[in-house]
Amino acid sequence: MLNEFKEIYKYREMIYSMVRKDLRGRYKGSVLGFLWTFINPLLQLLVYNMVFSIILRNDIEKFYLFLFVALIPWMFFSASITGGSVSIISQKDLIKKIYFPREIIPISYVTSCFVNMLLSFIVVIIVVFASGVRPTVAGMILLPTIMIIEYLLALGIAMITSAVTVYFRDLEHILGIISMAWMYATPICYPESLCPEKYRFLFHLNPMTSIVEAYRAVLYYGTVPDMSTLLESVVLGLVFLTAGCIVFGNLKKRFAEEL
Amino acid sequence: MAENENINSEYAIRVKNVTKQFKVYYDKGSSLKERMIFRGRNRYENRTVLDGISLDIRKGDAVGLVGHNGCGKSTLLKLMTRILYPDSGEIEVQGRVSSLIELGAGFHPDMSGRENIYTNASIFGLSKKEIDSRLDDIIAFSELGEFIDNPVRTYSSGMYMRLAFSVAINVDADVLLIDEILAVGDANFQSKCFAKLQEIKANGTTIVIVSHSLKQIEQICNRSIWIHGGKIRSDGVPNDVHMDYLDYMSEVRKTNALLSSMTEEQKAAYDKEKKLRWGNGDATIETVKVTDKQGKEGNLFEVGAEIHFRVGYKVNKPIDDAVFGIGIFRPDGLNVYGTNTRIDGFKRFDLKEDGYFDIVLPKYSLLPSKYIVGFSIEYGEGIPVDYWKTACEIETFTNISDIGTIRLDHDWGFSDGEIKK
Repeated sequence: MLNEFKEIYKYREMIYSMVRKDLRGRYKGSVLGFLWTFINPLLQLLVYNMVFSIILRNDIEKFYLFLFVALIPWMFFSASITGGSVSIISQKDLIKKIYFPREIIPISYVTSCFVNMLLSFIVVIIVVFASGVRPTVAGMILLPTIMIIEYLLALGIAMITSAVTVYFRDLEHILGIISMAWMYATPICYPESLCPEKYRFLFHLNPMTSIVEAYRAVLYYGTVPDMSTLLESVVLGLVFLTAGCIVFGNLKKRFAEEL
Repeated sequence: MAENENINSEYAIRVKNVTKQFKVYYDKGSSLKERMIFRGRNRYENRTVLDGISLDIRKGDAVGLVGHNGCGKSTLLKLMTRILYPDSGEIEVQGRVSSLIELGAGFHPDMSGRENIYTNASIFGLSKKEIDSRLDDIIAFSELGEFIDNPVRTYSSGMYMRLAFSVAINVDADVLLIDEILAVGDANFQSKCFAKLQEIKANGTTIVIVSHSLKQIEQICNRSIWIHGGKIRSDGVPNDVHMDYLDYMSEVRKTNALLSSMTEEQKAAYDKEKKLRWGNGDATIETVKVTDKQGKEGNLFEVGAEIHFRVGYKVNKPIDDAVFGIGIFRPDGLNVYGTNTRIDGFKRFDLKEDGYFDIVLPKYSLLPSKYIVGFSIEYGEGIPVDYWKTACEIETFTNISDIGTIRLDHDWGFSDGEIKK
């Protein structure tokens, strides 16, 4: 395991160049180009806000913000696991022809989604301040920690989905549905309090619940996230990452043959 | 990676009793639906590509791997680079490995040559600093000059390969693995690559080359290994090994010429080698008798004639639930017809002792040509016992000059109702 980490570190330049290639290629040929990174989340916000403030009315204060600070992290997570699932397959020419630590591919993919989220957060922070919420200093210091925890979780799951999809291509399509269901099982469009008390414990088995709650604590309520919730997500994040490394490590040996 | 262990060992590459098999699927389904519905189709055969191979390569050696197509030499090279992993046995490679198996890996057409150097070199595990320090060498070697800042899509294929080769050769690896790629660029650039390889070798880099060009290997290598059927057939000074290899190859060519005069037995063995016949051998098809309606043996039939086949088999191991099949092919490869006893709704056959099966084609309407008729025995679940694609040949003739593949029964009708024939 340690040797693998060392080797991945040695190949860090490859991660960097793959992320750069991915980000540059993402909006290639479009008129607005890289601006889409900012426009996309804003438009999504607009749609959800219209649905939930005009049609499905509710009495949550500043609902647009309530939704926005949870939706952007969710979009990163969901893109990582669904898009990540085909990341190995889409690089099959590279895998069949050349050696490099296979972990580089899911790492690069998730990292590029992560960088995208960081850029979207420029918009998020602007919206947060424009809405009048004043996050605490402690909260803002904790924000990068929350992001890193989410990154580790997303990476762990993406390593599993990317490796399993090589052997079982249906997973790509199944994940579309799983990701949708997962979104509604996470308090993104609604507060956690809406969930009946007796199912609450199930909610907290979902690693994304505590992460979303943490984002919301900092950026919506302007408080510091509950430390026990945060700790819970750290543990879950590490569990998934370890599982991801083990599954990936076992499956990667036959990639070149299966592709 | 065993990079820091046994750094003083005299060997750069140690291959210990390595075996590698590939699953060859006849018809693979990898989605859930295909797996559920065609469970029987997920049959495969294990093909042993490397069969318990062991070899040690000293540091600073330049070794050539030779052998005919499919002998396993490229697989061995891929195992050394860790693209593939062995089924059993061990491979140790010490130091940084650079493989010139695929040139220009990860090149992005819209990025400039310079940017692509970074991308490509990063795939070899170089850090930004290392690439920076090699950048000038790489650009100089590629002879691209000012074109280096143009997008790679504007390059000619020669320029593309030159750039790719320059990156790979400048990695400064401890072990350089090369697969059949020394045919890069024009003659001038080729000789430059050659000189560079000599230089790299002189600097103590271990080199392993897979090539069909024995001359190239003789020029660079001090050792040559001939791999045959997944095993080492000969190992030593390139000139000696290549003599043996060339002797063998000319033998093979002679055999090919002699093929027509082979006995049935030899032909069966040859077909197996050539993958026209496969199966696990629990039973084997021994004889095929082709007769006409009257029971007279022959291979020439008029279109529409009745043809009888009697296929004799030998049972080496009792078989439960066997299925017999027939397939008819035209020499151009068209599968004209095929069926088996399962398709035709027969109950299971259990084969306990030698026997035969008959197939009668009451009306063989295929138009004049040669036809290759194959027979098969397989297990009900689809595992081939003996698939013999070229068991016998028949030929058809006719004096009617209709055209196409098959004569269809037909009638004409006319508006005036008169028969004009």
